[in-house]
Amino acid sequence: MSKRVYQHPTEPATGKKYWRSMGQLSSSPEFQGWLEREFPQGAAEFHGGDVSRRNFIQLMGASLGLAGLGFAGCRRPEKHLVPFTRGVEWSIPGKALFFASSMPSRRGAVPLVVATHDGRPTKIEGNPLYSATNGASDLHAQSSILDLYDPDRARFFVKSGKKADAAQFEAELDGLIQGAGDGAGLVFLLQQAESPTRKRLCGLIAQKFPKATWAVYEPLSARSGNRVFSGGLQPVPRFDVADIVLSLDCDFLGAEMVVEQARQFSARRKPSAGAKMNRLYSVENRFTVTGGMADHRLRIPASQVGAFAVALARELGQRLNDASLSGVVADIQEGPVKFPADWIKWCVDDLVQNTGRSAVLVGARQPESVHALVALMNASLKSFGKTLVGRRVASGPVSGVKPIEHVAKMLSTGSAKALVIIGGNPVYNAPADLNWAKVQKDFIEEKKGAVIHLSSYEDETSRLSTWSVPQAHYLESWADAYATDGGYLSVQPLILPLFDGWSELDLLAKFAGQPKPTGPEQVQETFKQAAKPADFTVSWSKFIHDGFESSLAAKPLELMVSPEAKDFVKSGLKLANPAPGEFEVVLIADAKVDDGRFANNGWLQELPDPITKTTWDNVAQISPESARQLGVETGDLIEVSVADRKAEFPAYILPGHADGSISVPLGYGRDFSGRVGGSGVGFNAYPLMTTSQPYFVTGAKVRKTGRKYALAVTQEHGSLEGRGPDLLREGTVADYEKNPEFAKTMGMDSHAHWKTVNGKKSEVINPSLYSHPPLTNQHQWGMTLDLSACTGCSACMVACQAENNIPIVGKEQVIWGREMHWIRTDRYFASEGNETADPEMVYQPMMCQHCENAPCETVCPVNATVHSDDGLNVMAYNRCIGTRYCANNCPFKVRRFNFFDYNQRKIENGGLYKWNLTAPKGTEDTIKMQKNPNVTVRMRGVMEKCTFCVQRIEEAKIAKKVEARDSNNTRVAADAFTSACAQACPSEAITFGDIKNPESQVSKLREGERGYRLLEYLNLNARVSYLARIRNPNMKMPGAEKIGGYSRDQHHSAVQDKSVHSGGSI
Amino acid sequence: MANIFPRGSNYLPIKILVCLLVLGGALTAGISYYFTNKYTNVGYQPVQPVPFPHDVHVKQVGMDCRYCHSFVEVAAHSNVPTTQVCMNCHQQIQKDSPKLQAVRDSWQTGKPIEWVQVHKTPDYVYFNHSAHVNRGVSCVSCHGKVNEMPVVYHSQPLSMAWCLDCHRHPENALRPVDQVTNLDWVPPVKPGQTPAEAQVAQGLELKKAWNINPPDGNCAGCHR
Repeated sequence: MSKRVYQHPTEPATGKKYWRSMGQLSSSPEFQGWLEREFPQGAAEFHGGDVSRRNFIQLMGASLGLAGLGFAGCRRPEKHLVPFTRGVEWSIPGKALFFASSMPSRRGAVPLVVATHDGRPTKIEGNPLYSATNGASDLHAQSSILDLYDPDRARFFVKSGKKADAAQFEAELDGLIQGAGDGAGLVFLLQQAESPTRKRLCGLIAQKFPKATWAVYEPLSARSGNRVFSGGLQPVPRFDVADIVLSLDCDFLGAEMVVEQARQFSARRKPSAGAKMNRLYSVENRFTVTGGMADHRLRIPASQVGAFAVALARELGQRLNDASLSGVVADIQEGPVKFPADWIKWCVDDLVQNTGRSAVLVGARQPESVHALVALMNASLKSFGKTLVGRRVASGPVSGVKPIEHVAKMLSTGSAKALVIIGGNPVYNAPADLNWAKVQKDFIEEKKGAVIHLSSYEDETSRLSTWSVPQAHYLESWADAYATDGGYLSVQPLILPLFDGWSELDLLAKFAGQPKPTGPEQVQETFKQAAKPADFTVSWSKFIHDGFESSLAAKPLELMVSPEAKDFVKSGLKLANPAPGEFEVVLIADAKVDDGRFANNGWLQELPDPITKTTWDNVAQISPESARQLGVETGDLIEVSVADRKAEFPAYILPGHADGSISVPLGYGRDFSGRVGGSGVGFNAYPLMTTSQPYFVTGAKVRKTGRKYALAVTQEHGSLEGRGPDLLREGTVADYEKNPEFAKTMGMDSHAHWKTVNGKKSEVINPSLYSHPPLTNQHQWGMTLDLSACTGCSACMVACQAENNIPIVGKEQVIWGREMHWIRTDRYFASEGNETADPEMVYQPMMCQHCENAPCETVCPVNATVHSDDGLNVMAYNRCIGTRYCANNCPFKVRRFNFFDYNQRKIENGGLYKWNLTAPKGTEDTIKMQKNPNVTVRMRGVMEKCTFCVQRIEEAKIAKKVEARDSNNTRVAADAFTSACAQACPSEAITFGDIKNPESQVSKLREGERGYRLLEYLNLNARVSYLARIRNPNMKMPGAEKIGGYSRDQHHSAVQDKSVHSGGSI
Repeated sequence: MANIFPRGSNYLPIKILVCLLVLGGALTAGISYYFTNKYTNVGYQPVQPVPFPHDVHVKQVGMDCRYCHSFVEVAAHSNVPTTQVCMNCHQQIQKDSPKLQAVRDSWQTGKPIEWVQVHKTPDYVYFNHSAHVNRGVSCVSCHGKVNEMPVVYHSQPLSMAWCLDCHRHPENALRPVDQVTNLDWVPPVKPGQTPAEAQVAQGLELKKAWNINPPDGNCAGCHR
């Protein structure tokens, strides 16, 4: 057979294309740098350190001399084995134990199983017994293990800035409680949570102090209360039933994600014979993860979502002949902004044709009037009880909960005597018009009031409080909680409080006149009252073991729109009327640090934002058109001013953003939040937030300051030349129905020589000069990634980081391209030509593909990266001498190099650059406690990359061998375990397992219709397969023909010269 | 003109070369002997805080290894017994022996006994006891005849080459699973066989019957 030559077509200048950044479109020198090299120019140089290359050599010589004098290294150090004195129940040294728990959050708790190694919690997974989540978890649950060990957490009881102790606090607290009388002037400010025990304790306190004031504050929750539905219910979408979903600014796969809902949604995005795909319409101002998944997306300013809902309701009323719906919006004046009429027409048509199987969702932070109108539309679409069910949300710990402005008034008028802030950080995140910091300071200094702040960190609020009390992490305390779908979950501690913190329930129990709990007694009491078990010990043990109690789950309730809803629309819906030159500022929830509470989590800070791919900062997202008008580029500092309030942010040009709108994530620019996320990380957007405009702020003026700001954006890192369309393969349902295997022969693979079996192309015939040892093992590991289901949420990246001891490297190192994530989520835009206004967004998780013919292996001079007989491309760290040839030769740029001792040195204050002997060594002990003992902590100068979680593979194989003993069945059962990324994925897009076992999920998917492998024609024989992304456009919609079609005929349209792309023999 | 260098210097290069060769050879030989595990580790016999005689406990009393090393069959790490395990017997037996003072102190104070570690693989090696003892590799293969040791010492090199010898030829070590903790076991020798041949013959049989396939070319089997 003659030699076959494949000529890579160059990236087309025009036509349909996939691209990652504006820099790629304009072919900027920076982008070229990322494209041509695996690290940018100069990444291998010392920067800013106290040692240059030359004197490094001198110092090395000197150190060799010193080392030669002592021979100190030749003695074997005496090591000790220290067993327990008394055996500990269940504990087997070196073996992990698993406990069920759950992570409380304001949207409902996430059921979890936590692994502990010798008493240290090390890894969090979803609870596989809980069927709604089936073992999946999310970004924040995955990263919360690092918060537990954060050495910057509040460690001491602090009274007015001076260190005190728990006994002193308890004595003063008892005095306060005794002197509180009927509770007049006693104010509790809580966070949103649904814990039955908390509710019970608050009820007891309310009985004891009937005149106490209760308030709940969450900067990122709806502030309008629950008046839209009768009985204060809230709608919960059922994506397993909904065929057509219209999201009005509802980021239900991103910032408002709930694991069980994401799972339901993604399950309907995987087409196969017999399964009907859902269709998602999204209307939003900025690109969100939800908008990226949408089949049709419309960008409008967030303040225009109300006006859009009105236009939608008009069309819907007309279409359904629903006079009552039409009547509600009849009197509302049409706004100045026009929406595409055919978009609305055909969207409504789709909703109406699927009555009872469609749902309209609205973002939680849109005004109440918009919620009311959407509820009325859903009523007309007969969604209730089908695609939307009701869930009773505790409006607060007790009835009659006040908003935060009421508390501010009480503090400033002096009607409050003592304020108890449980969690939360109002000095940082209360609306700016309340001037909370001053109010709280004056309350203490002038009104002689007392403020007790229970907080995980010594933050902005703690510093202005009388008492700052360290709060226990949820893995250190007993509690209970409801999941979003109503499940009753246990919160079980896995370790005693590391820093002697108190839990929320501890403090509330004291106020309820009970002793501070030492164990689960308060939760047990609630459990007893609710479940009334026949045998308490058995039921309780089961509850704690399983992590949930199904008999106590809250049942879905029937939704009824409240009678006042129409009035909310008629009187409340004000259509924004933007003046020319004015912007709206949308204060969005950050995907990583949320409202700022996770700011000190290094994993989250270093995680590239799913949309902007920014690390260690927040950015003001702005559309290319608005940026042109303002004359700003990404990285320019802009000043945003509303009335007399001002804030500065770095601009970030985000394709697909609405014009006249700026989106800024909250939660950054903290003054006091530990060493990771404290001052200098991002910009604070809370000064723009007010009680009347908590979400979008209209009438903002934007000015270019002329200064620049360095951003660590990873969107161009790991760019692959001209291969976008070849790596990403997508199509529509129609394409799929025509040829379910369309993805296999797309792009360059269409020219490969295929073996044909029964008229179908089965595999590429790739003759190879290189013969590698046969892969003889009975297990052969492989992975599939379903691009149709992947939302890009990046939970896999943090799960991988937690499992595999991956260090963080800091902002400066990220700028140099030295981030260490083994799996990255490549975000591509797709559009025609250089159009940037309305592109589509596609995600591709990328990690080591474990090529059977791995290009990295052949170039390693020391055999540090080799192939195992079960098909893994393994790294022997101890052999690696750091030549980085393998990274040069990797076609996917997935190898990561330890340029510094990230695990040993301090990242801050240039600690990385100090030379060995002069820099202080060592990390905080608590951080070491998180490390997975089954994975090597890598040192400087070593290459690393995805191992397919080889520690889990070996553990499973050994477990099977132990079970087999003197029999011969040593084959690990199909799907007996999975990799960390696959286990965490909330949309079940990743499948891992034994491809040689025909029973396993992965072997079925891999051989399945949509499967394709990257760069197949290069004879890599990758072990990772991707499943082509399928979109489900409504062909009547405007622009529908483009959707999902960017890779369809990409290759052929791109190459004019047939002789080049013929791929024939020479 | 007189020679600048004396006549004898003609031989100097040869002399230097010979010296270098001898020196180099000695250095190579020295390193290849003195720097190996076999030299540095075998025979290591530290003094333990409690003079625990394995020979008395196994040979005289007849205890099984797993009475104290109780998790060896289920975990990667073979545990050292807790003080509680010692006290199971020594509350009654030898309860006033001065040799056991450290055990009694530990039991009373709750402070653990700090045993000195004898066998240690490097920290980048993930050795798993359970994978070996459940599949017919005896304790004696790596630890020597501990049942005859009054004080435990390092008996085998535990170097990578030594590990691989066995991973490539497991038949030299395999025995019935119920004989794993019997350190004196010898394979039944058929007429005309040497004991070594008997071991190999039986080992090959077991290897086939149990599907023994230890990682030899797979680095990840031990390094993760």
